Amino acid sequence: MEKQEIHDWIAKTLHETFEIDPARITAQARLYEDLDIDSIDAVDLMVQLKQHTGKRLQPETFKTVRTVQDVVDAVYALYQA
Amino acid sequence: MLNVGRLWRVMATGFCFVMFGVGGLGIAGAAVPLLILIPGRHRRQYLTRELVHHSFRLHVALMRLTGAIGCVIHGREKLARGGLLILANHPSLIDVVMLMSLVHRPDCIVKAALWRNPFTWGPVSLTGFISNASGPELVEAGLASVRSGNNLIIFPEGTRTVPSHRSTFQRGAANIACRGDLAITPVIITCTETFLTKGQPWYKVPPRKPIFELTVLDDLPPSSQITGSDEPARHSRRLTEYLENYFYGEVEQHG
Repeated sequence: MEKQEIHDWIAKTLHETFEIDPARITAQARLYEDLDIDSIDAVDLMVQLKQHTGKRLQPETFKTVRTVQDVVDAVYALYQA
Repeated sequence: MLNVGRLWRVMATGFCFVMFGVGGLGIAGAAVPLLILIPGRHRRQYLTRELVHHSFRLHVALMRLTGAIGCVIHGREKLARGGLLILANHPSLIDVVMLMSLVHRPDCIVKAALWRNPFTWGPVSLTGFISNASGPELVEAGLASVRSGNNLIIFPEGTRTVPSHRSTFQRGAANIACRGDLAITPVIITCTETFLTKGQPWYKVPPRKPIFELTVLDDLPPSSQITGSDEPARHSRRLTEYLENYFYGEVEQHG
């Protein structure tokens, strides 16, 4: 999957699952501070990612991501692995 | 002018603080005998929770007896049940002490720092209280606790309220409520004076004796009846918003 595709999927999921205004979901938006995602949401997001891509992001990896772009990069790295 | 009543309350409050520490160390001291004598983690947790409940009853009695505070409780009988999810606003340091003095088998989501404090380590580890640092597992643990018959106390604001400041709620409490479709028992805590609020040292006692008022309201209906059921992520957001408005309105009315 290309990075743009991953970004679009994440943006769509954030909007549909957490009702976040799409205008706020930029690559640089910080998940916890700007988008009000908490640790419970993060687990939901990982479950959805698993269902969608079959790839499993390690919780340790997820703890290090800060922005939407970080998630895109982490998922992209999974595809490269 | 020297306010004798105030001077007395500084001493009474200091004394109560010391006694709280002594009690905490006492419970920690009971850890070793408990571990040896009482087999089974659940039985030990049950016993320590009852021990904490009765110690806090004693502590509230001590605070009232010495005149450090006054305390009025409305609707106490609504707390004489088990398996409750109790949500309260959080104006002062002693809210949890007062609430746990009113319920049997108390459980609580407490801040992780209390495991590193020698005076609170004993009670929080032996009771198996839930750490706020546990992240998403907190939801599962909270739900399991309520279902096992404990009375789970949560301050959805996550920290003490800054006076006259409308705070936002964390979503953990709503997540527990909506994933278990639980009814919520709301408690509104108010105080006639500013006392033991966030950032205020204990010896800053107010000129008049602070009277705490705890009002236990009727249970809210199961969360699916409040917000309609939905995916947990959206459901818990709606419920959190509802609860913020509900508590804000009730605190205004009682304050």
